[in-house]
Amino acid sequence: METPLREPTFLILTALAGEPLHGYGLIAEVDRLSGGHISLRPGTLYGALDRLVDAGLVRVDHEEIVEGRRRRYYQLTEPGGEVLATETERMRRNVDAATARLRAIQAAPRLSGGVA
Amino acid sequence: MTDLERRYARWTALFYPADYRRERGSELVDTYLSLATPDRKRPSAADVADLAAGGLRQHLRIAQGLGPGFRLAGLLALATLAAFATGWAIFEAVASTAPWFPQRGPFLSLGVPAWAAWLLAVVVHVVAPGRWFRWAVGLAVLVTAGSVVLAAMVTGMHRPPLFVLLPQLVLGIVALGAIGWQPWWVRLIPLAAAAASVPVAASTAPRFVFSGGYYYDAAATALPAAAVTLLIGGALLALGLAARHDYRGVWALLILLTPIGMLALNSLGAMLDDSGPGRPVTPAWSSMVAASVLVLVVGLLSMPLAIAARGRLSSGGRDGPGRTPGTGSAIQRG
Repeated sequence: METPLREPTFLILTALAGEPLHGYGLIAEVDRLSGGHISLRPGTLYGALDRLVDAGLVRVDHEEIVEGRRRRYYQLTEPGGEVLATETERMRRNVDAATARLRAIQAAPRLSGGVA
Repeated sequence: MTDLERRYARWTALFYPADYRRERGSELVDTYLSLATPDRKRPSAADVADLAAGGLRQHLRIAQGLGPGFRLAGLLALATLAAFATGWAIFEAVASTAPWFPQRGPFLSLGVPAWAAWLLAVVVHVVAPGRWFRWAVGLAVLVTAGSVVLAAMVTGMHRPPLFVLLPQLVLGIVALGAIGWQPWWVRLIPLAAAAASVPVAASTAPRFVFSGGYYYDAAATALPAAAVTLLIGGALLALGLAARHDYRGVWALLILLTPIGMLALNSLGAMLDDSGPGRPVTPAWSSMVAASVLVLVVGLLSMPLAIAARGRLSSGGRDGPGRTPGTGSAIQRG
């Protein structure tokens, strides 16, 4: 799996870091985690899940039949957890760097600008 | 089963490969139904578009060898266009000019800069087969298309006929599949094809005379011959590779159908031309346009149809990129 992960992929892994989730539960959890910014559609979700399963980052935990339809629950694997941790650390470093720069800008006295 | 469920199932059956649908169809439909509002009677347009996009992704996943097929087709197309660019350049340099031929400017025709641009792309492919190769092909396309525009604008400027330029352009577009680093000997194949065409062109060119109808006699023979060579060579390569369960040759052959058809444009146009006996070497303009549109439509449709057909066929196996999460050993039934 190529890194850096795309935002939907990162959020899917984050959502699966908790308890196993099925498709609808995963879409709802990603929506909640992103504050409503990322609304996955099933076609997109299952495409991403296929790639993650192929890469060994996600696995099927169990499945059940609901009203005659199959419902699979997905779970993060150990390698998936490692990728998520690495990616989170990388993003944390970026956030720290950006935060430090922004603080420096806010703390520095304005040398110019403003209406005379 | 509700009407809404039936409709989602129908759209899934339409867009997704058969194997994938068997494994994941009901799960997909279950997720769509969970997301649907209680008053929804039929799938929304956004859901249908999502199903279409998801189905296309799955078709491409199971089309084993499609990516390598594009690379192989790109390499064969580059070798073919290299041979033609070299051959036509020699043709322009060696063939004698008719006394009445109205030559203007430094070149016999606007074909010379076009062939030079294509040969530059072939050389760039050897040394920098990535971004620079893409730029070189883009430049060659622009110079080739520019020669048509310039010849139309300036009286007395000559260019190779469209049935010579069009296959070169289509071969160039297909050749973009060869982008990327491959072993050095693979990158040298187009250059070797160019070198191989030198003696053939050098020995043939003196027989022709440049005049208003230059290229026509030579192209009427050389282009269909190249089309047949590419078709037979591609088919043999596809069969040989398929015997080893390597299907990139089949995809490459499908991709090459359009340039092969364009190379045979003169012959195909002649088949559509009903002007009867005594017609000129080049078929009527309308027949050529009809033949090129036919080739383009058949060529462009053959790929999606083949991918869809591949998805409809039951593979039986579950190995490879088309496998689904539910089929792996990781399943723990709870």
